Amino acid sequence: MVELDHSFQTGKPTDYNWDAILDLERVIPCVEGGKVLERTSPEQAKAEIKVKMGAMSMTFKGTVDVAERDDAAHTAVLRIKSRDTGGSGYANADVTFALNDGGGTIHTAAQISGKAASMGEGVVSTVLDALIKDFTQKLAAI
Amino acid sequence: MIRLGPEHGRLTVHTGRAGAIAKVGHDLDLEVTRWEATFADDAVALTADPASLRVEGGSGGVTPLGDDEKRGIAQTIRDEVLKDGTIAFTSTRVTPRDGGLDVEGELDLLGVRAPIAFGLELDAGHLTGRATVKQSAWRITPYSALFGTLKVADQVDVAIDATLPKESDDG
Repeated sequence: MVELDHSFQTGKPTDYNWDAILDLERVIPCVEGGKVLERTSPEQAKAEIKVKMGAMSMTFKGTVDVAERDDAAHTAVLRIKSRDTGGSGYANADVTFALNDGGGTIHTAAQISGKAASMGEGVVSTVLDALIKDFTQKLAAI
Repeated sequence: MIRLGPEHGRLTVHTGRAGAIAKVGHDLDLEVTRWEATFADDAVALTADPASLRVEGGSGGVTPLGDDEKRGIAQTIRDEVLKDGTIAFTSTRVTPRDGGLDVEGELDLLGVRAPIAFGLELDAGHLTGRATVKQSAWRITPYSALFGTLKVADQVDVAIDATLPKESDDG
């Protein structure tokens, strides 16, 4: 299990950020290489993320759910369950958002297996950290 | 003047790694398979076809590079870095010395010209030389992946190793 904490600032009101993180059509493409394949319900989508590493790439397909939400406290958990389409690995994560005025915090608890995990937990943690920082920058732009 | 090409030897490029997860990447040995060089006591020139680049091998990384990966890397370099741009060197000063030549000149790399200097060694009809190209000096951003955690090192080594033809072309 890799656990990471980040904070972000969008400069926008909490209600705006709250709508943005719960709108899977908007929030999933904020992950580099991520796209919605099918919106199966207001709080669930089938999605994929393609991670490119030079000539090599890995594609994870699965679901993103709004697993928990507290509209009053502006906290929500997005649950990601995905499998590596080119192997037997998986990448699952609970991403917990806690919003405050103009931004918020993100706690990520990820479990990754297969080819990606074979590079070692330190590598997974470093790449995931960079991915989330990139995500927060894109989130600030929507 | 002596003309050289792939039939006389090899023009190779060696790249290293940088970034927070450099250990999972590969140092690459590349070969340019279409190139032409001319040598004289007072002038040296070389042009290379970026589309002819191929990956010979790689070291390091978690797993060895397979043939598909080598082809993919070469394609990525051609498509995302070199983009069919120019690779052309022209000397501005050649200084003969014992055992070889000291060469200074200008390298046009993807349309940007910058100075470069290197030595060429000559030994019994065998020519070798090595030059260091710092990509940023040619305004090239070294290739990076995975949000910048894995990068090609800014410094790239280029080497030539050729056997001089027995009959030179004076034209």
